[in-house]
Amino acid sequence: MNWLRTFFRRNGTPLAIFLLCSVLFWMFMMIILPQLFMVDFSLRANVPPPQWGTDTHSYTLEHYKYIVYGSSTSTDQFNTLDMGVFLRTLVAAIFVTLIDLILCYPIAYYLAHVARGGWGRLMVLSLIVPFWINEILRAFSFKVLFGTTGIINNFLVGIGFLDQPYDFIRNDIALWAGLTYAYILLMIFPIYNSVESLDRNQIDAARDLGSPWWRIHWRVVIPHAKPGISSGCTMVFMLTAGALAAPSILGGPSSLWFTQIIYQGFNQASNWARGSAYAIILLLTCIVFVLVVMKVFKVRLGEIAR
Amino acid sequence: MTSDHIRKMFTLLFVAGFFLFLFGPLITMGLTAFNSSEFPRVTPWECFTVEWFDVLRQDQRLMQGIKTSFFIGIGVVFVAVPLGLAGALLLTQVPDRTRPWYYTILISPILVPGVVLGISTLIFWDRMGQMFFGDSVFYNGYFLTILGQSTFISAYTMLIFIARLQRFDPALEEAALDLGATHVQTFRKVLLPFLKPAIGSAAVLAFLASFENYNTTVFTVVSEATLTTVLVSKVRYGINPSISALAVVIILITLIGACYYELVKRRELRAIDNAKRVAGGGASVVQRRFFAEPAAWLILLVFVVGLGTAFVAGTTGVDECKVEVKEQKRVQTEARIKALNERRAKEEASAENDSVSPAEPRTRAKGTENFNSIFQKDNLEGQMDSSKSDESSDKPARKGTENFNSMFDQGNLQGEESEAETRPEPEPKSRKGTENFNNIFDPGNLNQPDAK
Amino acid sequence: MSADVELKNVWVRFGDFVAARDVDLHIGEGEFFTILGPSGCGKTTLLRAVSGFLEPSDGQVLIGGRDMAGIGPNRRPTALIFQNLALFPLMSVWENITFALEVRGVNRADRRKRATELLELIALPDQGDKMVGELSGGQRQRVAIARALAAEPDVLLLDEPLSALDLKLRQHMRSELRAIQQRVGITFIYITHDQGEALTMSDHIAVMREGVIEQVSDGTTLYDDPGSSFVASFVGENNYFRGTVVDTDVSYTTLDTPSGRFRGRTSKNQSLRKGDDAFVFIRPESIKFDSGLDNSLQARVRNQEFEGNFWQVFLDVEGENKGLKLSTVNDGRHHENISGDTVSVGFNADLAVVLPAGPLAAE
Repeated sequence: MNWLRTFFRRNGTPLAIFLLCSVLFWMFMMIILPQLFMVDFSLRANVPPPQWGTDTHSYTLEHYKYIVYGSSTSTDQFNTLDMGVFLRTLVAAIFVTLIDLILCYPIAYYLAHVARGGWGRLMVLSLIVPFWINEILRAFSFKVLFGTTGIINNFLVGIGFLDQPYDFIRNDIALWAGLTYAYILLMIFPIYNSVESLDRNQIDAARDLGSPWWRIHWRVVIPHAKPGISSGCTMVFMLTAGALAAPSILGGPSSLWFTQIIYQGFNQASNWARGSAYAIILLLTCIVFVLVVMKVFKVRLGEIAR
Repeated sequence: MTSDHIRKMFTLLFVAGFFLFLFGPLITMGLTAFNSSEFPRVTPWECFTVEWFDVLRQDQRLMQGIKTSFFIGIGVVFVAVPLGLAGALLLTQVPDRTRPWYYTILISPILVPGVVLGISTLIFWDRMGQMFFGDSVFYNGYFLTILGQSTFISAYTMLIFIARLQRFDPALEEAALDLGATHVQTFRKVLLPFLKPAIGSAAVLAFLASFENYNTTVFTVVSEATLTTVLVSKVRYGINPSISALAVVIILITLIGACYYELVKRRELRAIDNAKRVAGGGASVVQRRFFAEPAAWLILLVFVVGLGTAFVAGTTGVDECKVEVKEQKRVQTEARIKALNERRAKEEASAENDSVSPAEPRTRAKGTENFNSIFQKDNLEGQMDSSKSDESSDKPARKGTENFNSMFDQGNLQGEESEAETRPEPEPKSRKGTENFNNIFDPGNLNQPDAK
Repeated sequence: MSADVELKNVWVRFGDFVAARDVDLHIGEGEFFTILGPSGCGKTTLLRAVSGFLEPSDGQVLIGGRDMAGIGPNRRPTALIFQNLALFPLMSVWENITFALEVRGVNRADRRKRATELLELIALPDQGDKMVGELSGGQRQRVAIARALAAEPDVLLLDEPLSALDLKLRQHMRSELRAIQQRVGITFIYITHDQGEALTMSDHIAVMREGVIEQVSDGTTLYDDPGSSFVASFVGENNYFRGTVVDTDVSYTTLDTPSGRFRGRTSKNQSLRKGDDAFVFIRPESIKFDSGLDNSLQARVRNQEFEGNFWQVFLDVEGENKGLKLSTVNDGRHHENISGDTVSVGFNADLAVVLPAGPLAAE
């Protein structure tokens, strides 16, 4: 109450009301309550909308059991398909995150501390262009690239490396490359920003003290870039694991992405409850990843989300 | 010294490779927009054309999607910018102990997958409607999408405002109050002008983020269709170079935007520099000459290429070229069909001799039937619209060698999507593929062994 | 218009921390009043309580006899000049100056006119259309003053406004501030940790320590008759010896210290009894190379520093580990280096003051 009085005094009534209403609406009606409702929904039986909130809309764990055991009419003991998809999505997302990190760290360092002047700035600026191109168009460009008559196959066949065009899409190579590509800028920008804020004198000092280049990175640059690295990793992981467009465009026939199962629950199977349950599993996965990153890099959440 | 050289070379190669990885796909895609080939590709190059831009313009669904996206984007700007601003302004004022919670909650949507945000928004408002009105009053694509997207876009705008506010001196607000201004006057005359650049960037960012969002939108959009949802269904079922043309347009807009941003930034830098010089009497640090900058050359290059393109497009006879290419292809195709028939005859002969092979493909054929259908869909989209040929007639006869053939055909057919209707040879295409075509909302087209 | 300011039993608490403890002050109409104290002593808190940015936890603030409780900063007859000046960076000089008029709805032409007048007053004519970023430090200073004066306050509050300036400019601005105050004739309350500023400008000075007002008086009294050991050590430079009172009467008190027995004036505002723990304070300029004065002692010269018009001589005294500082006018007689020599120095009892032992200002 005391706080509220000070708050109104400090901001004046009109502004105070605007601030409180906006933030409360955002916080409760857009963030907290929708999530809670989703959790609630996922714990209830799948009944048609008119029966929502009635007795038939009872609490159950069936949707969470489903991912482990599958349908009761199925003969399989476990739902290997959904669990397999989940695991593959998880592994692929981690893998894509690592590749992006390995690719981006040297580039970020190069842009921040090696390339100087106009060209350096041009390179940084040019990164904005692919960044603002739609995720879907980026995936599309990989479909063009990796198609059976795509430029890569034509080249490989042309130089005689392959005698038949290779089906990159079916073998998921296009998907992996596309995902690596899709969110790479969300890795490079945070790292670039944090590396750039490092005082060049620190690097020079380390070099002056006879430190080899890898040790300079290990002991000076990487610790400084930690918030950027953790931020980049979290974003790339979250976006890759939660990607929906790229897998549906680039995914081969045998590769289903976890988000696609969720999507099916909403659009094909008309089982919103199961879709919600799966979405919560995805959400929990991302939360765990964030917590792991926070633990490993010893950073605060505020440093990750920037 | 030599090891230093090697390292330098390696670094440059790595950087060049990285930028090739970054821009190669975009450039390739951009080029396909100018090739007359029905299927987006660069090689073989057929005819230079700008007709795909016309196709793009006449694409009603896409244009409608862009319109919807535009309105949603505007809506998001009007929701996310005030919310982000309020969130940032309140951040400094909440009690110290609650601040970490406050921040964590408001920032969390950034770290939550868009899919989850879309679903939770959909469910929440649907149930709110049910609970309070006994009706799906909130079940509206615009309403849900604007709210769903704003959930996380507001967090982005909040971050922009927080960054700007960190450089705000709270004494300015106190000074205004002390001089007799009301709180509203202070907000309007002191804080808002200070935040103006941040409001601008937040609005642009919010609009762009909304415009290109798919994951959240696809759940909340209900019966509407935005640019992204239209694009995904387009790209998945039947691609043609008009999508490349769209990409070219977007790339150009982005380039112009980036250049404009750079110019504005330079002007700001120069203004600050001038002010400093007046006050301190130092020399100008920022270069004044525009053309000393590589960025300027890039702009020039884009401009020249654009002009050249327009010129070439205006002078070259696209139609003549097309006829030529078509004729060439016809000759090629005939030759290939001949070769194909010979080869098939030979294979069938050998298959009869082989006792194992007919049995094996048959068993496998069942298991991989789904595979094939999708397999073909993915590779033959170009034909989707044009090929109405009845392929079932030949199918039973080919059953035994289906796997062989499909692989073989594929290699062959890829080059000829545009001539699908002229090809006498039937395609090994299952009904499944066309069914899927109708069902846009089938992600991955994989039939799960799902007992629903 | 001018008004007096009265603080009655003002307490300001931030949680457990007490920033102002039972402050009672009366600041007369048209006075140049300074609150002097080390950083963190609560002087800015008092200023904010007067300007209305914070409400006292207890007690009253009266301006012109009116209780200010519940009245926000924008409705008080005060104007504050901020430590960092807080000029609006996005407005031109004249817009800054007439901001107070703008929010009152004065039309543009009148504001322009008033700005011109005020720019004359602060000797910055024709600078009105510049942005504040283009001004030098001293010019900004003057714009801040003009901006505050444009609000036509009864009381002008200044929160260390000179601290960002270099020494020379600071000295110049001191006399300028004083001149402006005399010209406009309103009450100035000035906050500073710089005793030089306080002494040169003020009619009255309040010395503050840890939320408590230690002494209120004019500058010379503060210097010559400090009311507490803190004031004695904070205002101006001072040497001191700590000892036990062996004899005291209304005029003089004698102390036994490890360096010898010294006699000084008895402080007017403090009572001392025999056996009390006490300090005797002696200014550097009151110590002479003379063994025939009321008090005398032997010391060894550690080093000497030449300051042009003054010599500063640092002495080591037996029984004291902090040494003694002596300053003497450069009359041409002390040019030889006497470092390491043992000398006899002394001071008169009238120039030394004895105060009860208490907290000292940090070095």
